[in-house]
Parts: sequence; C-alpha cells; structure tokens
Amino acid sequence: MKNYCSIITAAVVLFLMGACQKGPIDSLNTPVVGTISGNPTRSDLFNLVTGIESGMRINYAGYLDGVGVIGREIYRFSGSEPRYTTDLLGGGTRILDNNTFYLTNPWGSRYQVMRQCFILLDATRNARTEIASDVQKKAFSGFAKTVIGYQLLLNINMTDSSGARIPVPNGAAPGAVITDPAIVLDSVLKFLDEGQTDLTGSTVMFPLSDGFAGFKDAAGLLKFNRALAARVHIYRKEWAEALTALNGSFFDLNGALNTGVFHFFSTNGGDIANTMYLAPNTNGEVRVSHPSYAANIVPGDDRLAKTALRNSPISQNGLTGTRDVVIWSSLNAPISIIRNEELILIYAEAKIQSGALPDAIVALNRIRSLHNMTPYAGAITPAALITELLYQRRYSLFMEGHRWVDLRRYNLLGTLPKDRPDDDVWTRYPLPQNESNL
Amino acid sequence: MLLPKTGLLVLLFLCSTLALFAQQNISGKIKDAVSGKPIPGVTVRIQGTNRGTISDATGAYSLSVPSGNATLLVTFTGYKTQTIKVSPGTNVGDITMEEDFAKLDEIVVTGLATSVKRSNLANTVVTINANQLAGTAPAQTFDAALSGKVPGALITANSGAPGGGISVKMRGITSVFGNSQPLYVVDGIFFNNSSIPAGLNDVTGAATAGNPNNQDNPSSRIADLNPADIENIEILKGASAAALYGAKAAAGVVIVTTKKGRAGKTKVSVNQETGFAKVRHLMGVRTFDADKAADLAGAADNPDPVVQQRRQAYRDQFNAAASAGKIYDYEKEMYGETGLILNTGLSISGGNEKTTFYMSGNRRQEHGIVKNTGYFNNSARLNIDHKLSDRISLGVTMSYIHSDADRGLTNNDNNGVSFGVALSSTPTFVDLFPNALGEYPRNPFAASNPLETRDKMTNNEVTNRFVGGSNLEVRLQQSEHSSTKFIGRGGVDYFNYKTAALFPRDLQFEENALQGHSIQGNTNNTNTNLGGFLTNTFTPNENISLTSTLGATLETGYMDNIVTAATNLVSGQSNLDASANTTTRQFRQKYRDNGLFLQEDLSLLDAITLSGGVRFDRSTNNGDYKKYYVFPKGAVSWNIARMKFWDVKSIQSLKLRAAYGQSGNVPPYGSKFTAMLGSNIGGLPGVLVDNLLGNSDIKPERQSEFEAGLDLSVLDGRITLEATYYNKQIQDVLLRHALPGSSGYANEWKNSGDLRNKGIELGLTVIPINTKTVKWSSTINWWRNRSKVTKLLIPPYAIGAFGNSLGTFYLEEGEPATQIKGTVGSELKLIGNSEPKFQMSFFDELTILKNISIRFLIHWKKGGDNINLTQLLTDLGQTSFDYDDILHGQKAGVYRTGAGDASIYVQDASYVRIREIGVYYNVPLRNTNIIKGIRLGVSANNFFTWTSYVGYDPEVSNFGSNTITTSTSRGSNGLSTGVDVTPFPASKRGSFHIGVDF
Repeated sequence: MKNYCSIITAAVVLFLMGACQKGPIDSLNTPVVGTISGNPTRSDLFNLVTGIESGMRINYAGYLDGVGVIGREIYRFSGSEPRYTTDLLGGGTRILDNNTFYLTNPWGSRYQVMRQCFILLDATRNARTEIASDVQKKAFSGFAKTVIGYQLLLNINMTDSSGARIPVPNGAAPGAVITDPAIVLDSVLKFLDEGQTDLTGSTVMFPLSDGFAGFKDAAGLLKFNRALAARVHIYRKEWAEALTALNGSFFDLNGALNTGVFHFFSTNGGDIANTMYLAPNTNGEVRVSHPSYAANIVPGDDRLAKTALRNSPISQNGLTGTRDVVIWSSLNAPISIIRNEELILIYAEAKIQSGALPDAIVALNRIRSLHNMTPYAGAITPAALITELLYQRRYSLFMEGHRWVDLRRYNLLGTLPKDRPDDDVWTRYPLPQNESNL
Repeated sequence: MLLPKTGLLVLLFLCSTLALFAQQNISGKIKDAVSGKPIPGVTVRIQGTNRGTISDATGAYSLSVPSGNATLLVTFTGYKTQTIKVSPGTNVGDITMEEDFAKLDEIVVTGLATSVKRSNLANTVVTINANQLAGTAPAQTFDAALSGKVPGALITANSGAPGGGISVKMRGITSVFGNSQPLYVVDGIFFNNSSIPAGLNDVTGAATAGNPNNQDNPSSRIADLNPADIENIEILKGASAAALYGAKAAAGVVIVTTKKGRAGKTKVSVNQETGFAKVRHLMGVRTFDADKAADLAGAADNPDPVVQQRRQAYRDQFNAAASAGKIYDYEKEMYGETGLILNTGLSISGGNEKTTFYMSGNRRQEHGIVKNTGYFNNSARLNIDHKLSDRISLGVTMSYIHSDADRGLTNNDNNGVSFGVALSSTPTFVDLFPNALGEYPRNPFAASNPLETRDKMTNNEVTNRFVGGSNLEVRLQQSEHSSTKFIGRGGVDYFNYKTAALFPRDLQFEENALQGHSIQGNTNNTNTNLGGFLTNTFTPNENISLTSTLGATLETGYMDNIVTAATNLVSGQSNLDASANTTTRQFRQKYRDNGLFLQEDLSLLDAITLSGGVRFDRSTNNGDYKKYYVFPKGAVSWNIARMKFWDVKSIQSLKLRAAYGQSGNVPPYGSKFTAMLGSNIGGLPGVLVDNLLGNSDIKPERQSEFEAGLDLSVLDGRITLEATYYNKQIQDVLLRHALPGSSGYANEWKNSGDLRNKGIELGLTVIPINTKTVKWSSTINWWRNRSKVTKLLIPPYAIGAFGNSLGTFYLEEGEPATQIKGTVGSELKLIGNSEPKFQMSFFDELTILKNISIRFLIHWKKGGDNINLTQLLTDLGQTSFDYDDILHGQKAGVYRTGAGDASIYVQDASYVRIREIGVYYNVPLRNTNIIKGIRLGVSANNFFTWTSYVGYDPEVSNFGSNTITTSTSRGSNGLSTGVDVTPFPASKRGSFHIGVDF
C-alpha cells in the first residue's frame, strides 16, 4: 500500500506541476502587425519593403487575364473555370459578377499591398534614428507612396465609374466610394507626387529584387515614379504634364524598348512563379490570342511573335483559338510594370494631342522600325495618328493590361468584336459586393 | 492552483488504513425471467461499496458480505436493476432478472464525474451499443457508423475516399467558423478529430480562385478508432447536457466507452469480415455520335474556317474510334473497381476480482473503388482495471493505431488535374490507355490524362497514434448517510501524421509546367487533458439524495505541421532533395484551456431530480486569456409514474423534463493576431500583411440551450416514447466576416451576431413480439431542425461555395443560417437551403429461435439542397449523361449552363437509404469445451438508395469539416456541406462475417 501511495503521489504531483503553465500563448507562426510596426528593426523594415514588392505580383495574372479577355486580346480557356468564357465575355445572359474571383482577387490584393505600404509608413515613422536616418526614412516613405499610387491606379482601371475608395492610414475610418474616376486619379497622382517629394534627396538602404535592376537607388525610383505619373497624366488628358513627367522618368526615345521596371518571378522556394506562362500546346489551362490579333496585324509586323501557332486549334464554349500567347518564356520570366516602349508611346500620344504631329511621327516611326514595319505613311491628322497610335499600343503593349483601358479612354469599346451573338463588351467591372460591408 | 492542493488532500486519504468487517457468504444462480437461461457477467455489488462479484458462464455467483444488514445491487446491461436486502445469516439464493426494454435503469454519464439512471435523466442522451454500432453492417469508419442513429444529428460523408471524412452536426448549426464538430471523449481522453490537409492545393490550385477555403479533402482523425473495441457510445447533444465538458463541448459530446474485461475465465474472441466495396452509383456518360463530336469544336454554322476544320477533325476522330471499337466509358474505368475488404479482429479479456483486462488487436484492409486507393488500419488496445483496495480503483487504457490511406485526387481543382475535373471534359472517343511501352497518350480534352494520373500519382496519409489515459477513483469517506469520492482523470493523445502527395514529372500536366511535385507533410500533435473531481453524496433518508461535485479541468494542445513542396523533380524520384525547387511551410498551434465547475444534483423520492451547476472557463485562444467566462446550467425532471399516488399499472414511466445550459466555444487559434505572412521575392525574405484581420478582443461564442421533453414507457417497456423540443441559441457568433476589399483586408474575426436552432426529436420503440421463439423490436426516430440568424451586426454576406453566380451560402438576419442564394437573371435570390426538412430512421431487430437475428436500418432524409457543381462541370465539358435531352427547347447541357440561373445547380438532395442490413446466426454448440460460440453473418452497408439527386451521392462535401486553418490556408466553415465538386464517389459494401469465441 505504501509503495502504491508514493508512486501515485509522485505521478500525480509531477503531472499537476507540469500542467501548471501560465502566461499568454503568442503567435507561433508569424510576426504580428502591432509588434513589427511599433518598434521595427532594420530587418523588419527591409522585410516590409520586400513584402510590398512581392505582394504586387499576387493576383496580377488575374488582372491581366481579366482586362485581356474583356479587351478581346486573348481567350482564357480553363477546364475547371467556365467564367473566363462566360461572364467576362458576357456570354448568353451572363454579366460580370460583383463577388467572384476575377474581380475580388486582384482588387483585394492591390488594396492589401496598399495596407502593407501604410504599415511600412507607420514602421518608418516609429523607427529609431539609429535604425534609419531621416534621409533613409524618406526613401522608405517615397517607395511606399509610389506603390500606393500605382496599386490604386490598377483598381480604378478595373472599376472606372463603378468607383473605388481612397486608401487610408491604419486605424483611420474608410472613406466613401468615389464613383468619379477623375477624383480617384487625382488621388493616385497625389500619392505619386508625394512619393516624388520624399524620394528626392533620399538615400535608399533597402534591397529590391532584380525586377528593379537599374532603378534600385533613389534616382532610379524617382524615374520609376515619374514614368507612372506620365501614364496617369495621359489618362487625365494632361498632355503637358505628361511630357514633364516623362522628362523625370527613364523615357529614352532612342533607348531599348524593354528598359523598365518588372515584377520578378521565380520558382525558387518561397517565391512566386509567373503563372502568365503556360506551356504552348497544352490543353486545359490555355491562353490563346483573340483571332483578331493575328487577323488585324500588318503583314511583317514582328509582334506576331508574341503569339505562336498551336499544333492544333483549341476550342471551348464555342470559341476557338489557334495561337498561344508566348510573351513569357517560363515560370521565371518577369512581367513588366512599365517600360520604355510604353513611355515612347506616351510621348507620341501627348505630342499628337498637343498638336506637335511631327514629333509624334518620329516616335511612332521609332516603334515601327523596331518592329519591322515601314515608316508611317498615313494621313498626318490627329485622328489618323491616334488610330496609328492605338494600333501601336495594341501590339506593343499586348497583354500588359492596356488595350481595354485605351479603347475606353477613346470611347472605342464599340469597335471590339463580339464572337457570339449574345456576347457583351463590358466598359467596367462592377464595384465588389464586399465594398458594401461597412 | 486548486489542483495540487486537492491532490495532496487525496493522498492523505489514500494512505489511511481500512477497517475490517466480519463476513458471511451468499451464493446462487442468476437467470433470465422469460427464457430461464443463465445470465453470465451480472454484477452483484454491495450498495455503497466497491465490493462485489460477477456471475460466471453458468450464471453462478458467490460473494462474502459483511455480517449485519446489507443491500445487494444486481445489475446487468439491458436488464432491470434489482435491489435485494440481505438479512443477517440468510442466503439470497437464485435471482431472476427482467429485461429492461425501456432502458430505464441504464446508467448514463452526465457530467465528468457523475452518472444518473436514465429514468431520472433531464436530457435526451442517445446511447448506441456495440450491436447497433457495428453489429449490423459495419461501416468503413467509426463515425460513418453513426449515420441515421442519432436523432438531432446531421451526419454527412464528405467523400467516398478510403479513410473517410465525416461531418457531424448536432442540433443544427453550432458555429460558423468556430468548432462545429462534437468533442469525442474516449474513456475520458479527449480524442483529437482534426483534419489536416496534405498540401494538394499546390497541384490542384483549388483554393486559388473561387474560394480560399481548403479543399484538400483530408480524412478526419476520429476514423482511427477501431469500432470493434467500442462497448457503447453516449451522445450529449448540446450545452444543457454537455456543459460540464466546457468549451470544447459546445457542439455536443460523443462519449465512447471501450470494452473492459470481466472477472472470470479468460475469453478469446476472433472475428473475421470479408467483403467487397463497389461504387454506389455512377452518373453515366454522354453517348456521342459524329455530329455531337464535331459540335465540341464549335457550332455547325460557325463561319470561321478554323472551326470548320476542327469540326471535321473531331468527326474523323470519332468515326475512327467507333469503327475500331474504341469508345470508352471512362467513368466506369475510373470508379468501377471492386475493392476487397478484409477485417480481422482478436480480443482477449478476463481477470480476477481485483484486476481485469481487455486486449485487442485489429487489422482492417480495404481497397478502394479507384485503382491504387485503399485504407489499411492496424490497431492494438489494452485496458486494465485494478482495485488497489476496497476504496481505491485505478483504470488504465492504452491504444496504438497505425493507419494508412491512399486517397486518390478528387474534388475541386482549378488546374484540370483531379480525376473528376479531367473526366468532366473527356469524351468517350478519345483513347487514354497506355501503349505497349507504357506511354500514356496526351488528353487533348483536358489538362491531364486521368488514367495516367491515377496510375502514377500517390496521395498517401500515414498516421501513427498513441492514446493513453488513466482514471483513479478513491472513496475518501463513507458513512451511513454520506460518501465522498475523488476522481482523477488524465489522458494523452499523440499522433504523427505523414502525408505524401507525389506527382512524377512525366505526367501530362507536369511535363511542361512545374515538372513534378513531391509534397510531403509531417504533423505532430499532442493533446492532453487532466481533471480532478470531488463528489459527495449525501443521503439523509431514502427519499432524498444530494450529490455535490466540484471539479477542475485542464486541456492543452500543440500541433506542429510542416509541409514541404518540391517541384522540378529528378526523374523517378520522390525525395524532397531530389528536386530543383523546394518550398517549406510550417504552421504551429498551441492552446491551453482550463475550467472550474460546481454542480449540485438533488433527487427526491427517486422521482424528482433537480440539478444546477456553474462552470468557469478560460482559454489562451480568447482575446483576454486570463478572463474566466461563466456558464450556468440547470435541469429538472419529474417522473410522475414513480409517485406514490400513481396507480396506472400499465404506465411504468411518465417523465416530464426540462434542462437549460450554457457553454462556450473558444475562438480558433490565431484569431486574435493579424499575421504578417512570408512573401519572398528574388531571394529576399519578406513579410506581407495577411488579408485576415485579427481581433484582440475576440471572445468565445456563447451557446444557451433549453430543452424540454416527455418520456413515456408503457406495457412493461414494450412501448416507449421520447419526445424532445429544444431551442439552442448561439450568441456572439464568431464570423470571419468580409470586409470591404479596399480596407486591405478580406476578412476580419468578429463576434458579430446571434444564431438560433429550434428542433424536435421524437423516438418511438416498440416490441410487438416477445416470445421464446421470436422477438421483434422496432425503433422509429424522427427529427428536424430549423436554424435562423436572429441578429447580424454586419451586413449580410456570402460565406461559402463559389460566388453568387454558382449559388452561395449567405448569412442574413432573419433568414435560415443554411440558406443558399444565387444570381437568377441579374438578381440575387433565395434558391435553396441545405438544411433537411426532416430526417427519419427505422431500426428493426428480429430474433428468431434465439440464434438468428436480422437487423436493418433505413434512413430517410427529406429535403436539404446541394450545390451540384459536378453537373455544372460535366455540362461545361459537354459530357453529362443527359446533355442531349431537350430542356426548354435546347439541349439540356446548353440550357443549364447558359440560363444565367444559379438555381439550376442547386438541387434537392433528399434520399431514402437502407444504411445497414445484416443477418447473423449463432451456431448452437454442444459438447465442446474449447469453442464457446460461433457467429456467422452477412451484411450490406449503404447498398440501396433512392434519390432523384443527379450526382454520385447526395451526401457530399467539397470543403470537408473542421479542417485546420493554417496561416496560409483557410479551414472549412461550419456551413459549407453539400457542395458537390467531382468528389470521390461513395461506395457500398457487402460482407460476410465469422466470429469464434474460445
């Protein structure tokens, strides 16, 4: 009996003592927002910047697919996802859904990056000066504001007059939905301009991926910022301002077309692969160019090579494609954010619209010659040149998210082909259903 | 801390010496009152002590009783308890026992430390014995065997994949994002039932587009339990009954008691089941002809020459295939296998007066209805009970389980790789079979060749699990009017769960993309639970008994899940390092819950029971981890037939009862944090704010349940009726509520509304025939539940499935929590409800000549809609069996996809099903000493179903249940059952059984 007692005593006591843990159980898996923005280390700040750069890629493929399909640049066939060929093309009685992936995923991811930018702004403000000096802090905030402006631009591109909300700092009450896209673009520009101010005279201490190769320092980021501003200015029909912004950017009429800033992708651990790459000639998940892409191209234009003839055509839901989109060569290929080819076309557009037609023709011919086309020989009128410009933008910026926005700007969405009798060409996405959840 | 102090107190008592008494011997035989057969295994115990004996195989017993007046309690499961006074110097002699049809004397566990006779119970507690559980037609897993047997429960098989995966919902919707599955307690040990995904999402991309919730279709860990070891199951359905189990019990408690040894000769029992599994139902495939094949390329009047060219190509392909006889039904090819089932069990039990033991080993092996799938489970159990003295008894239980399941690749995917999604667009005239070199043709109609995928891939889960616990009971003091007991209980549940999803680089969908996947997960999980209880029973006289219970409980859990996904594999290799790229994800979760409770039970005249209690709970998952939340409970029952004035002889029991209780449901781990998730680029480490906003003020959901009922037993228990009404309210419902995307967050954790479930449960048991040759008993259950969102502090929102255009669960104040809304035209309309209108079951048992028994269970579910996206996918792939039927002037498949009407795919999933039917024969044996008994039987499980539902089975769930929410994947929610996306088809089983006792 005594033996049992001691054994039981020991067992019970040990078990109970062991069980008496105290204290809270903190997050075991990840840092949490409050601690990282309250008193950040230098590494914390770097990690936040990397998160911003990385986050910009999330669901960007969904954005490009969506505006590419609606803008009749491509067909997106998917064995398991019918809505690329129904909703997005307005097949039958289908309309754009305000609560599904092609809208809510890119929309949410862009605002998620903006939220992260505000967290970086908080963290930068709270960082001790031994962590980052004032000029170093300026680079962080300039980068964050530039990205906010860019991300907001992508969302208002989708919803246009359905509206968007201006992002607010952490903890602030959200503003109203603004359904005038001009006001939202004001705000985009404001963020970009504030970014420009902060970046001017700052020192960049944080690392960026090779997507920013050549633009990793303050001067480079300023050029990137101004390039984006130039894009916004032409959307706002502010031609003089667009030219001014180009001057601050990496615009180079005689430079390489692919100079610019890219999203870096890789299949390495923890990184994101470029899902815009789909192996040619596969079935199931497919991106093929819209038949009009090859049909409307000027013979000899080398941009036909952005697509490749399939071994056999592919069909889904009454649509058939023969050419795979091959802009991206692998899962590791970068996707452009903005590059010199667009800047040259922005230059041409601003020049046409401000009446400097010869300057515009020089720029257009630069594009034409680089794509194996003869110099421009059409009418020298603003209207004819705009038609030429839109052709060049269509083929130069194929699947970079521009055609649908361009045709909307010029009120030409009615010229897009409808492949099936009941198809529609949408002018904008609806406001996501979740925006009513306040 | 309360516990160590009570612990020391107990030890003092433990060590006190025990008094000795003078003895006298009594003996006799125990027999059945109707048949006169001896009853072995009856417990004869001296009231108020631990002293007693058990009748042997011939029904004989003998016991020494202290001289002086003593009272004997004679108890045996299924018989009425007898109380016999022993006068000094006299023997008791033979005892006859009457069968207890109404189970009034059955002892029911109500709290953690106390138990009550069924006749005095204030709640409905469902008890399922071994015969009902596995004695008719054994299901694949333990949880599947509960289907149709629990009034008030909605039990849904998520998938037919080997190894199971079952969702159990007691009394409607308990929680949307918190735990909605019951707590499983096996011999006092909290048995973990989490579902841990294998990382298949990396291949399928299922959660990347329409719905972020995990769709990996993992099995649930309760499936590890061997049904053959179970003695009985008690089910506490809601807070009013289960409140003493605290925060983990909000969705009900399933209390499993495993078999124990009995004193006497050692009994050896061997059971063998041999059977087969076949698919329950195939949907069928479209019959093609040359025109239909051509139409796959585009309409006949399409002016595009490319389309016309392609039409001709398909036409030629069809004609060539047809003339070569190469038209294949790939659905049958994929799901048409017959799986072999082998189930071998061995158990040894016995012991003496002081020590009893039960040992068992079990080996279950079965092949699935898809090639290369199957389930294999080996388990061993040892239960030992030992009486250290008259005052102290100790029970130890240990089990080890090894299970291994190959589950194929099914359910939703966005990459065209799962079996069903690939099949949905594959017509019959394409040849997918390998050539003589073993090379599989490329499937031009889908991203993958499903036959190649099936033959080359692996999706395996292996679990090694140890579950052990002990139970200590100490009678601290005993006097004429009062006795005090200490009960200590502890348990540990540890498992290691290894998943391997291997996709070689030469698969159609891998060769030009990521070139092979090897996704290997390793999870270690430890749960512990510990409790100490003091109970005191005070009986001032025969008519009054007061039981007080004071207890403290502590539960902890720690899970560590590491998944590494390797891509670009070295040819033929699966090791993670034989690859060009690897990504590792880790997720850990840890919690500590503790509670204190106090309960008083008062029994008057053995007819009136009053009880009241209060529980204090806290958890580290709550926003304020130090705060105790208070949950009261109370119950009253009055058995009018036991009152002195009652003189209706034919009614033995007429009980009115009411109970009220509250319990909490703790928030999921991590809901109080806003995480920064890893997000790297170009080799730089980064963190990106999660789109799920945490809430540092998160608090538990509070459930208040009221139930009232009437129990009636007439004609000696030949007819019994149980009727129960309940109203279960959940306050502060935890919602992962959708935020405007422009906030930067998609969702936020918030206590944001109230839910209500009201329901009725009726049970009628009749024994129409009870003679020596034939006995027939029949139980009919009927139940229904209605849930409603009574308050919603946030705007109504869609919470499940795949968006409005395909039908979605939609939370809205004043509407049922289970409603389904969808886009019809351009409006969002109510198009369905996943909750059944009612359910009904019939369980009948017919015993002929004592040795032949026939049992069957019929289950009828009326109403309850599914979102049938399997049909949508086959329509889009133009392979539906009824694609060419004419509907509204169009081909059905064209009409359904083009109508812009989500209600077309929201379909009634009613069914009537013979769940189980079994015939067993006990071979009468004479003149053998070695073999004590032989049983033979045949059974059929889920063999016959009547339904108008079009999918594989009306029971289905793409999202599974209770899947863990990791930092990168969202777990499933409590509403999303009934979403049908190309599941693993359900199977039916037929078996032959043989059992031998030595």
